[in-house]
Amino acid sequence: MKRNTFISLLFLIFSLINTKADEPIKVTNFTLKDYNGKEHSLTDYKNSKAIVIIFIATQCPVSNAYNERMEKLYQDYKDKNVAFIGINSNKQESIEEIAEHAKKHNLNFTILKDTGNKIADMFNASVTPEVFVLNKDFNIMYHGRIDDSRRGDNIQHQDLRKALDEILSNKNVSVKETKAFGCTIKRVEQ
Amino acid sequence: MKPRGNLLTALLFLFSILILTTDEAQVRELKVEKIDKKKLEDILKNRNQKLLFLNLWATWCVPCREEFPDIIKLVNDYKNKPIDFYGISIDYPDEVNSKVIPFLKKQKANFTSFVNGFDKDEDLINMLDKNWNGALPSTFIFDKSGKKVSLLEGKQTYKIFKNELDRLLK
Repeated sequence: MKRNTFISLLFLIFSLINTKADEPIKVTNFTLKDYNGKEHSLTDYKNSKAIVIIFIATQCPVSNAYNERMEKLYQDYKDKNVAFIGINSNKQESIEEIAEHAKKHNLNFTILKDTGNKIADMFNASVTPEVFVLNKDFNIMYHGRIDDSRRGDNIQHQDLRKALDEILSNKNVSVKETKAFGCTIKRVEQ
Repeated sequence: MKPRGNLLTALLFLFSILILTTDEAQVRELKVEKIDKKKLEDILKNRNQKLLFLNLWATWCVPCREEFPDIIKLVNDYKNKPIDFYGISIDYPDEVNSKVIPFLKKQKANFTSFVNGFDKDEDLINMLDKNWNGALPSTFIFDKSGKKVSLLEGKQTYKIFKNELDRLLK
């Protein structure tokens, strides 16, 4: 696993060096277990039109404010061949806690535990919630926030929804990068 | 109830009112103004030969709350040095009285505090650092000319803050 991650990192760095400014970054395959112990690889979703990866948390109030909205997005797009994967990379949030949290908040999409935050490092993810949308070739087509309202009371821009709709319509993603405040991903000590 | 009991109850009631009123008055006297693009630009432009230590935090952010006492200690230890200590809370402006000020009071905050008044969070993030993703807490240090010289992302310790300030004060 360590060797695979190292190779993945090298590949990503190589990709970044060789990526022209207007070319999307390609993500290499990885494998993580969900909270039931089942392994999931990115390649399992290679036939999807889009893969949504959201770095989430059990204890972050911002991530939790999006629970319902994340589930709604999953329900709205699951029959449109869009894969939805939550990743928890926080060192202090256990698999048991993730399972309990998913049950309590009725989160039905796949949630993987990123032990040692290797995948968060690979994506260079820093906050929760933080979204990466990949196309079928695992290129990052959108990176950033779910929408522009932490509280959900005054949403002006449904950024994730818009990016997915554009991908599903075979259009270019018009807004590829957004930012939002969130909780820092708690990484293991370096 | 006996007259004595009535008197005691009345006194207790009055005492409670007095305590509540005093607390509310104390909370009211601590000001947390909204900061927008222009105000932040002015702060960065008018450094008056001082460094700027700018901490971004929120009451909902556990590591922000955890590092706060270290910042309070830092402000006390560096009060005679040419440094302005400012904080910007990322709570909503309508949460200032209910969340931000009570927290600052409890911490005995000893530096100027603002609340995010930018229309878009992204504008504040990009104004501070285009490569920053908005992870809280984060601390930015600007030199005497208003140029950003340090970004400390995530929870820091007193020692890290101190080393950084000592390095920049040389």
